[in-house]
Amino acid sequence: MNVAIIWTLAQKELGDALRNRWFLLYTIAFAGLALALSYMSLAGAGIAGFAGFGRTAASLINLVLLIIPLMALTVGAQSLAHEQEQGTLAYLLAQPVTRPEVFLGKYLGLALSLLASLGLGFGVAGVVLALSNGSGSPGAYASLMVQTFLLSLTMLSVGFLISALTKRAGVAVGIGLFLWLAFVFLGDLGLMGTAITMRLPVDQLLWLSLLNPLQVFKMASILDINATLDLLGPAGIYAMQEYGDRLRPVFLGLTLAWIALPALAAYVRFHLRGDL
Amino acid sequence: MGARTHLHRSRLATLSGSAVLVLCLLVAGGAALHAQTAPQNLQALIDAAAPGATLTVAAGTYAAPLTIDKPLTLVGDGMPVIQGDGSGDVVLITAPDVTLRGFVIRGSGDSLDREDTGIKVAAPRAVIEGNQVEDALFGIYLEQAAEGVIRGNTIHGMALPISRRGDGLKIWYSPRTLVEANVMRDTRDAILWYSPESVVRRNDFADGRYGLHMMQSDQHTIEDNVFRGNSVGIYVMYGTGFTMRRNLIADNRGPSGYGIGLKEASDVLLEGNRIVNNRVGVYSDASPLRPETNVTYANNLLAFNEIGLEMLPNTQANRFHDNILLDNGQQINVAGGGDLMRNEWAVDGRGNYWSDYAGFDADGDAIGDLPYTAKSLFDTLTGAHPDLRLFQLGPAGDALDLAAKAFPLFAPQPRMTDPAPLTQAPGLPPAPGMSAPPRTANLAVAMAMIGVALIILALGIGPHLHRWAAGHSNEFGTSHD
Repeated sequence: MNVAIIWTLAQKELGDALRNRWFLLYTIAFAGLALALSYMSLAGAGIAGFAGFGRTAASLINLVLLIIPLMALTVGAQSLAHEQEQGTLAYLLAQPVTRPEVFLGKYLGLALSLLASLGLGFGVAGVVLALSNGSGSPGAYASLMVQTFLLSLTMLSVGFLISALTKRAGVAVGIGLFLWLAFVFLGDLGLMGTAITMRLPVDQLLWLSLLNPLQVFKMASILDINATLDLLGPAGIYAMQEYGDRLRPVFLGLTLAWIALPALAAYVRFHLRGDL
Repeated sequence: MGARTHLHRSRLATLSGSAVLVLCLLVAGGAALHAQTAPQNLQALIDAAAPGATLTVAAGTYAAPLTIDKPLTLVGDGMPVIQGDGSGDVVLITAPDVTLRGFVIRGSGDSLDREDTGIKVAAPRAVIEGNQVEDALFGIYLEQAAEGVIRGNTIHGMALPISRRGDGLKIWYSPRTLVEANVMRDTRDAILWYSPESVVRRNDFADGRYGLHMMQSDQHTIEDNVFRGNSVGIYVMYGTGFTMRRNLIADNRGPSGYGIGLKEASDVLLEGNRIVNNRVGVYSDASPLRPETNVTYANNLLAFNEIGLEMLPNTQANRFHDNILLDNGQQINVAGGGDLMRNEWAVDGRGNYWSDYAGFDADGDAIGDLPYTAKSLFDTLTGAHPDLRLFQLGPAGDALDLAAKAFPLFAPQPRMTDPAPLTQAPGLPPAPGMSAPPRTANLAVAMAMIGVALIILALGIGPHLHRWAAGHSNEFGTSHD
């Protein structure tokens, strides 16, 4: 593997992403909504004399949970399938580059483009919040962005897996959208219903919900900002008492697993495919 | 204790050198007499003093334990240290009318069974003022010591896990105590039990378990205090007649984190308090208990709490007006399900300001024309099934509420109705102890985020700029569009 080649491919991918209309749309939507939410949270600051960052962060977490998986899944789902459909992937692989280089270059480029998008969104909202004394501690805000970036990587990996398994970009994006629905809504709603009807014990509820990387992101972010999960009711309190300081490594491990395993599966599939 | 080897016999009651110990005995009448012999220790001086005398104690370190068993005034000059030997109480006051002012008191034992204490008072009318109590299991303990004054003391607990700490302040069967302008950190509780008509004012109690725990005690005034970072700010159990005004109650969290908890408390007035960023702002269980009494909430700010107001469905005869419920994760929760319709959510045509009020005010009288109702489906679900709080802050919970609005079939019964919600937030009295976040650091972090984005953009666009500059066509023209 040649790092220079990977970097060249990553730069090409980054350049492509910046001119991808979907990508631009998501970035603008995310930055705009983050800004709007920050302004709305500052309305309360006038009444209270200061704003509570907790509520702003809660809105931002909600926004991130809606938009970032959508963005990363669609971008990831298009990555390989689109180029294959266009025939450019076969052309690229005919060059003196190896498949690991192509895969890593693409992944790196798209990861960087997601990071740029998040940096803009969080940065612009952060300036507004800081100027009007609406933010909390700088560390909490920075860690929220880091957690968001990790979340986007999990969804990017899942997107890559979809892309490696399908031949047409349209199908890949369709599957990506369905998975988005499943991660964001169906999984939680199903678990809520199960919890009520089956009277799930609180530990099972916690671990079942942690299968969803979005829930992992949410809990890790709340833990960073509040230093406790008591906001999440009995399950959160159980998690704090049972695992305490071990929660952070657990959350990080689950997130890294969600980043690495789908990406690895996608790579294996991409490597073995003969029909490119 | 080397200082004790020197004796100062000057007629001036001043220090002539830092290593010199001066003990000056003043008779209560004001005429100055002077110690003719060197006291072996402070206890000997106390034993020698006439009842009613004033002892001025110079800076230095004195051995404890001390027992003050006659009415005396002890005044520390330059914060002399009374150093315990790490067992039992440090200072024990067994006589009425003792004043202890301006000492550092440290080094009690650490037995919870014996309640080892920095300053233990077992007699009425003590004045404990301007002392610094540290490394003591219990800080100041009034045991059957009525009409005491505890003013301007600083109390730091022992560095122990919270279950092994003692109470920073324990007031036990001591009616009409005044607790004023004290600072307390890292202890367990401030306790005020069976001590009616006591006043707690302008204190700052933080980082303990109960900021203030009152039980079986009537007629209290709690005002202008700061209770921050405890598990519970103020908890009232079984009593009548509480006035709580202009307190700041913030950041009280943990599994049982409450800003203010009321359990079977009757005739309570909460006015002008700022209750901010707690797990639960106010928790209320069977309050008021006595018939014909109320719990009145007026002009309070409940903001940024995970749950603003949590009440058990047995709660009735609570009156709410001119409160601000601002951006609480959940404004009102009925613990265990049910409703709160047997309370008055508006008094004399004035309700409360709700940040999530969605009505309008067509006639411009600053009172909303539609009532405010709390009937979120998700909130109703979490009231009955607290486990589901796990799904808070997620889009799925919001989706449930949206569904309930779109398909009224699923809409829950309202849990409470404010018939006259305010459309403008009422003014708040000033409260102590609030600070703004670090602005420059936050700005720097936000700028750094934008910087990262711009660097990545430059990396992505850079090669193309080179190509354009060199007059080449853009070879990646349509790849992803």
